[in-house]
Amino acid sequence: MDAVEKANAERQRRWSKDQKIGEGTYAVVYRGRELATGRKVAIKKIKVGQFKDGLDMSAIREVKFLRELKHQNVIELLDVFSSKKNLNLVLEFLDTDLELVIKDRSLVFLPADIKSWMAMTFRGLEFCHRNFILHRDLKPNNLLIASDGQLKIADFGLARDFADPGYKMTCQVITRWYRPPELLWGCRYYSTAVDIWSVGCIFAELMLRTPYLPGETDMDQLKTIFRALGTPTETDWPGHTKLPDYVPVGQFPKTPLRELFTAASTDCLNLLSQCLIYDPKRRISAKDALSHPYFFALPYPSHPSKLPKPAKKDVPLEEMDGNVEMASSGPGVKANPPNKLKRKHSSEDLSSRPVARRLDFSK
Amino acid sequence: MTATSTLESQPVASTSSQQSLYEASTQYRHWRFSPKQLVDMRYALNSDAVSAIRNAFENDSPGSSASVAFLSAQEEYLLVKLYVGKVSQLCAHFRFPEEVEATAVTYLKRFYLKNTVMDWHPKNVMLTALFLATKTTNHPISLESYASHIPKTAPSDVLDLEFLVAQSLGFDFAVWHPHRSLWGIWLDIQTLPDVSLGDLQTAYEAATKHVRAARLTDAEFIYTPSQIALACFSLASPTLASAWARAKFPSLPHPPVADVLGSIEAMILREGSPPDVEAVREVDRRLRLCKNPEKIVGSNAYNKKLQEKEKKAEEKRIRKAEAARIAMEEGDPFGNELAKKAVEELDDDDDDD
Repeated sequence: MDAVEKANAERQRRWSKDQKIGEGTYAVVYRGRELATGRKVAIKKIKVGQFKDGLDMSAIREVKFLRELKHQNVIELLDVFSSKKNLNLVLEFLDTDLELVIKDRSLVFLPADIKSWMAMTFRGLEFCHRNFILHRDLKPNNLLIASDGQLKIADFGLARDFADPGYKMTCQVITRWYRPPELLWGCRYYSTAVDIWSVGCIFAELMLRTPYLPGETDMDQLKTIFRALGTPTETDWPGHTKLPDYVPVGQFPKTPLRELFTAASTDCLNLLSQCLIYDPKRRISAKDALSHPYFFALPYPSHPSKLPKPAKKDVPLEEMDGNVEMASSGPGVKANPPNKLKRKHSSEDLSSRPVARRLDFSK
Repeated sequence: MTATSTLESQPVASTSSQQSLYEASTQYRHWRFSPKQLVDMRYALNSDAVSAIRNAFENDSPGSSASVAFLSAQEEYLLVKLYVGKVSQLCAHFRFPEEVEATAVTYLKRFYLKNTVMDWHPKNVMLTALFLATKTTNHPISLESYASHIPKTAPSDVLDLEFLVAQSLGFDFAVWHPHRSLWGIWLDIQTLPDVSLGDLQTAYEAATKHVRAARLTDAEFIYTPSQIALACFSLASPTLASAWARAKFPSLPHPPVADVLGSIEAMILREGSPPDVEAVREVDRRLRLCKNPEKIVGSNAYNKKLQEKEKKAEEKRIRKAEAARIAMEEGDPFGNELAKKAVEELDDDDDDD
């Protein structure tokens, strides 16, 4: 056996796949463990054999960026190995994700909790941007939550390095509800500001407990945005009418955020509004957001360990949560409305609950 | 050796702002060596390969390895260098951006820090490395159109080695290149007072040529991209380069980076040209006779190895089916402890999809 193959086999032997916990078009996710330590991990197996162009772009992006990024608020890639024609990513195991937390009606969010999640999101995102990486698919179910409450940005299947000036990028990125207006109008030269818009939408969703701008089609998305925030004028956003896919979508008045977010503090609404500024050049950066007065005003952010989490069920079901979503990342699911795949997984997995019980008790 | 192939054996990257982004990169952590380490690695790799291939010859027919003249580490290096040059020709043909070319070259060179040309010929590895680089740098083209532009190459020739190449790279796809640093220096110098933009442009173009020459050397394994870029600028215009360095370290009488420039410049001048084609042709001729027979499709040794593999896979399938059968007979689809264990052991494999 070649040295390279041998090294690969050695890496493979360090991990065990225990149970399938999710399946998407391009990947299967297993709960597994590091044999030497018993540490729980998620193993995402990407089926490569079926791609006619070899290793697919979303797998390559995910591996490329996660190999470089080590930060408390970015999911950690522990190892990569191949088995036959499959690529296996060993990721840290995370209990749940922000979408499930938001949807759990039994949980009450304090303003300090929301501040804590936002601080962790901005910290992770600032680190990505500092490393010249655009995430391009931020949404609550890509923000995973570890058992100690730390939030981790996950799913780098659509990420890319900043393009050089003059290089076009695709505007078909970011799940619709979290997609900024410049992309909806076909802008091909964009920046870190696209991720900030998504964070703004997540921020609002944490307060509302329901998606803030749920457009039904790309065209309706623009309407939904303008209904909420007013149609931009040339002063708000110079040059926007020159964007490639610009179409007028009607005149809507600006309503103050205060009318919808009645309980929010002034600092809070100020930061939110700065994330949702139409002109991408004037939208706040992740770095500046981290020193926004909101994060220094009372109440201080909750300690991650004190954040609300979905209750543990009688049966250990943590394998149903956050990592299931990772199975659905792949080129086939980019920019879909959220939830579709996850819901499907959850219901499919219902039938396998007895398996989980059985395997856990027999250990 | 500073390079390791597993993630865990590295020092934990601190996320503090003290650490430079470059020091957190896989390039710094896995692919930086001293000149001596490089020599030792290549020597060890070559001698391991020779003894493994000698064995393969002997297994095939005893005594057959005695007359074989295996390649030396230096000869392997020459051959790889020739194909590094060919990557540029191919990229010019496809009009790929410089990013793609530089990345493919790095992949090819890194590959042969882990593999021997006697197992995998650089002619094939080069094609795969380039194809992989188009994807990792966000300039993907379809495999079919890629292969159709290259004579005597089928899509499968490119794809068959993709996993091996990715594995040999340790899945470290991100690479930082000197040509990017050079661009930054060029932008910086424009902000210095009293610089003639005409001179700067001439120097930049000459420096770009030196950066390309540096790709033929080991510079990227020993120095940082910005050190290499500055050395190239210094080769083109020592005055502008030192003006830039002084402006970067205004409080120091002597910019620290100046100390390494000399050795990088010498390396580029010494090794930055393509190898003598005749000499490499001779190496390639000998390679035909000392190739690992287990890697030659259709050879006895290859078939034997293949049969062994198939036999093992077959045994595994039988064991697995047996384990499943026992589980069913027990009337419990999840099996008892023993059967479950047997299935689990086999399950890290992939017939389950």
